[in-house]
Amino acid sequence: MPEPQPVAAAAGPSNWKLIVRLFGLAWRYRLHCLGVLGIQLVLLTMGMVGLSMTGVGIDYIRHKVGHTPLSANRLHLAFPDAWPWSKALGVLAGVILVLALCRAVLNYVYAVSVNILVQQKLVVDLRGEVYDKLQRLSFRFFDANTTGSIITRVTSDVQAVRMFVDQVLIQSLIMVISLTVYVIYMASLSPGLTAACLGTTPFLWIMAARFSRKIQPEYAKNRILVERMVQALTESIQGIAVTKGFGREAEDRARFDAANCAVFEQQRSIFWQVSLFSPVVGFLTRVNTLVLLGYGGWLVAQNKLPLGAGLVVFAGLLDQFSGQVNNVATIVNSVQQSLIGARRVFEILDSPVDVKSAPNAVRRPHLDGAVCLEDVSFGYDQTGQPLLRHLQLDVKPGECVAILGATGSGKSILMGLIPRFYDATGGRVLVDGIDVRNLHLDDLRRNIGLVFQESFLFSNTVAANIAFGHPRATPAQIEKAARIAAAHEFIMRLPRGYDTVLGESGNSLSGGQRQRLAIARAVLLEPAILLLDDPTAAIDSETEHEIFEALDRAISGRTTFIVAHRLSTLRRADYIIVMENGEIVQRGTHSELMRVPGPYLHVANLQLVDGYQLQVPPAA
Amino acid sequence: MSSADPTDLNLTLVRRPKDDDDEAEQFKPLEWGLARRMFGYTKPVKRKVRLLVALTIIRSAQLPGLVWIVSLVIAGPIAHGNLAMIAVGTACYGALAILTDGMFHFRQRYALEIGETVVNGIRAEIFAKMQRQPMSFFHRMKLGRIISRVTSDVEALRVGIQDVAFVSTIQFGQMVFSAAAMAWWDWRLFLVVAAMAPVLWVVNNHFRMKFSRLTRASQDSFSRVTATLAESVSGIRVTQGFVRQKTNAGLFRSLLADHSRYNIALARTSAILSPLLELNSQFFVAILLMLGGWRVFHGSMDIGDLIKFFLMANQFFSPITTIGNQYNQALVAMAGAERVFQLIDITPDWEDDPRAEELPRPGPDSGGMRVEFRGVSFGYDPSRLVLHDIDLCVEPGQSVALVGHTGSGKSSIVNLAAKFYLSTRGEILMDARDIRMISSLSLHRQMGIVHQQNFLFSGTVLDNIAMSRPGASEADVRAVAARLECLDILEALPNGLHTEVGERGAGLSVGQRQLICFCRALLADPRLVILDEATSSIDALTEHRLQNALVTLLKGRTSFVVAHRLSTIRHAHAVIVLDQGRIVEKGTHIQLLEAGGRYAGLYRQFVQVDERS
Repeated sequence: MPEPQPVAAAAGPSNWKLIVRLFGLAWRYRLHCLGVLGIQLVLLTMGMVGLSMTGVGIDYIRHKVGHTPLSANRLHLAFPDAWPWSKALGVLAGVILVLALCRAVLNYVYAVSVNILVQQKLVVDLRGEVYDKLQRLSFRFFDANTTGSIITRVTSDVQAVRMFVDQVLIQSLIMVISLTVYVIYMASLSPGLTAACLGTTPFLWIMAARFSRKIQPEYAKNRILVERMVQALTESIQGIAVTKGFGREAEDRARFDAANCAVFEQQRSIFWQVSLFSPVVGFLTRVNTLVLLGYGGWLVAQNKLPLGAGLVVFAGLLDQFSGQVNNVATIVNSVQQSLIGARRVFEILDSPVDVKSAPNAVRRPHLDGAVCLEDVSFGYDQTGQPLLRHLQLDVKPGECVAILGATGSGKSILMGLIPRFYDATGGRVLVDGIDVRNLHLDDLRRNIGLVFQESFLFSNTVAANIAFGHPRATPAQIEKAARIAAAHEFIMRLPRGYDTVLGESGNSLSGGQRQRLAIARAVLLEPAILLLDDPTAAIDSETEHEIFEALDRAISGRTTFIVAHRLSTLRRADYIIVMENGEIVQRGTHSELMRVPGPYLHVANLQLVDGYQLQVPPAA
Repeated sequence: MSSADPTDLNLTLVRRPKDDDDEAEQFKPLEWGLARRMFGYTKPVKRKVRLLVALTIIRSAQLPGLVWIVSLVIAGPIAHGNLAMIAVGTACYGALAILTDGMFHFRQRYALEIGETVVNGIRAEIFAKMQRQPMSFFHRMKLGRIISRVTSDVEALRVGIQDVAFVSTIQFGQMVFSAAAMAWWDWRLFLVVAAMAPVLWVVNNHFRMKFSRLTRASQDSFSRVTATLAESVSGIRVTQGFVRQKTNAGLFRSLLADHSRYNIALARTSAILSPLLELNSQFFVAILLMLGGWRVFHGSMDIGDLIKFFLMANQFFSPITTIGNQYNQALVAMAGAERVFQLIDITPDWEDDPRAEELPRPGPDSGGMRVEFRGVSFGYDPSRLVLHDIDLCVEPGQSVALVGHTGSGKSSIVNLAAKFYLSTRGEILMDARDIRMISSLSLHRQMGIVHQQNFLFSGTVLDNIAMSRPGASEADVRAVAARLECLDILEALPNGLHTEVGERGAGLSVGQRQLICFCRALLADPRLVILDEATSSIDALTEHRLQNALVTLLKGRTSFVVAHRLSTIRHAHAVIVLDQGRIVEKGTHIQLLEAGGRYAGLYRQFVQVDERS
């Protein structure tokens, strides 16, 4: 098993370019960001005042009890000597409480407004944009990316991008501001003690940042190993019939155990590192306290520092300081993660939509359906082998053309050129005499009905699926389409008729039923052109005849292209083209092609050999 | 167009059916039995567990000890200006700090390692148990559910083992030690402090629970987002073909807005909790200042003790929220553990009889297995039979084609012969032995099955073929491919036999996949071959090539062929026509055509369309 490699940053724009762009993203929400920062600033000030109050209180009590003279404190607070102690302490306690209440409210406002900024505005906007763009991208994009990776871009990658705003940008600003304030305040109390106490802090930060950079790849590796373990389990369950069928349970189990133990072994090294890091961090933090106790204690003893407003406040601030250590590590991680996410999100946002309406596209709400291919070529890559070569085809409105060819001969691409799922790289495709690239895309596609090999139905009601292309269709229109597709009867037999939700347990449809729904969906729009990509492929030949009725009614009066392998389907066409390696090698009617030796006759013989034999015994 | 009217039924993209797992309990009360069973998995690392318990108890004294030293030094030597004692105190602190953090390394590492050991053991056990389940189990149980047992539930269990028990002990100990110290200094003031503890506990738990509920709601709304997204991507061709982009974008935005509402609700809840906890501690400071001040002025308390109180109180309070969170984790771990153990404890519907013996494999040219069905009835659900009184005898080397409509029982016969299921009534004899008395493994090692859609494991073509006979060399695989006349096709793949297949690999055509499966079956050198719709999804031009491969594969072996393609059926020694679980006709292709019964009818229906020309 090869060593898993953490996902390397893909080639693309440099990190700096990405960061500039991310700043641009944050700039869109600048007012909100500023507001959030403002709240933090107020909170910070209040926290400092509250902490000082505690210190002042301690000093005041010590003074009153007579231990020490009352030294000046940073807030220059002094209670009139005439005040009884209870009044002074009451005022102090009151101020602390009021401050705490204000802080609580402000903290709440802060947390909620950060979330509104991030979850309600940024993420929703960005996800909406990515989704919108996704839907417009041409099929090449979907051919090149797996569903899983596309979903991640809209979900977790977008979250990674937003992390740049709230975890990186806002957090680091807050950190810089508060640390500056802390340091200034501490230094004004005692510069020497500040320097001594904070001596270890930079080490702590550097360590935290380095540790997280070092451990991240290990975690990434761990995620890969866990994924492999889950994959081993998944495959072993999906392939259980194969494993059991060959009696190879032991080998399969060994495979899983190896994946499981690989996770275990790799974790050990992570555990060691984590268990080394956190005690060291813990210890370094305690060194601060040690310095405070020794050096600070000495200062207090020398009366150079008040105990309450000095030493206790110092201790409190130090505590805040070490709390920021985790922040540094989080920020460092977030930068890395958000850059990876940003790369993937921007990749989608920047993908050119290569199929779109021309600026001065011709509007044609109703087409007659004449289709003409003029010297059409198509290649996935400019360099690669062409998938279609110099096709010539002229189809009159209402004609039905069947296409026969092996997998990869280019028939699906040929069909995809008409609704512009792909654009021809050479030659042109004309509909009603207009180059499809000059027709308005929406008009073109609304005039084309599509049925795929295995039609995708959404997990929604039967009615919603039929009305997919025209969501406002009336029940009468939906039923009419269903009747054309010979689907009305079986739909009425479903538990809730047209309101039955597909995909729920017990509501699974047979292949023939699914295809009939797909045909109903296609004819609801009354399209002039119908594209049927091997619609009977996924259906048992015994139930195939169920959809012929639907096909015959759907085809009549429409220009139809139908990819098919079975003679029963091919024979329905006005004429047939046979494709091989992106070229049309044969064309003509069924009876014409049956007379010439060639691939068509070859396929036909394979299927007809039984038919001839049938004539031997007399039918009963 | 973005205004989605929720009353318009046709204007949603996806309705996610409720999964049973959505209803699964998130929490479960603590249960001693479950906890004991969880900790039972730590047996392999018993010594580490004992050490960890010791380390944990020590740590719960070390932490308040450190604070105690600090408070002692501040309240005593520092307040009184005793330099020598300051130095001594500082040194003591340093020594204890080194000891504490040094031991912390072991306490943390052991906990993590123990957790991982448990997780590893449970995963292996789940896998082993799953594998022993008969096929019926895999039809009932959703894959996603098993995966979530092995991932999220096991993770919850890990947290329960490695954190909850030990962290709670430390925190609890810390509370006890600091409480004792405070009570020792001034028990009256301590009572005031202690009175706040229950408030803190209740507030924290109330919010954590609410938080979990909201998290669930937010996850639900997120799964609506991802379900819609997944179908949008899978159905992109439909969407673009029917020009639904704008409508869908509007729908998706409203889903996103819905999801963000839950997130904001979640944020509001957590935004209340932490300020509330902080408010509480400030409240405590104010009270301490007032009360403590009062007692100090009346001379009933030393100022030093007041300072110690300030410092120690935190040691008493902070564990409350931590233990509260750990308690929640414990409930989650319990729920996870229960689900995991439920899965492990499912007893298989049936297992091999303990007296079952190996099916002996006669010499290499034994000519196949003899298969006999005697009055066999079967139902996946015993109350609803799908096969009735099947009598069937296949002599070694014979090939039997099973014909009938979908649901007529063809696949059930094949599943029984493969011992994937046991018959409800009647008996099945393989080589004249009762199939129940034959170990499944030895039977399967003499079988080769090809389905309509076969699973290919991630790995190379070579791996996938060789899986049926571990240890087979590349030369063996090549030889098999050559015998099936498809070596050239496999070698034409991007990396030949070393091309990666499965999810990560290059997409193979259906025909190529089936060829791999035929090779896989032939390599096993089976005595019984089962082809369950093996050629049904192959295009007409590829089918021709496969015909010859099939003849080679079936030659000299007993075989069951379920097929729709008549071209496949014609070669069979016998054709069996099934209807609603009964054998209605039996004979050769020609015999049945001449009889003019149901087979002839089916046959005519299939070819009729071709005869009109």
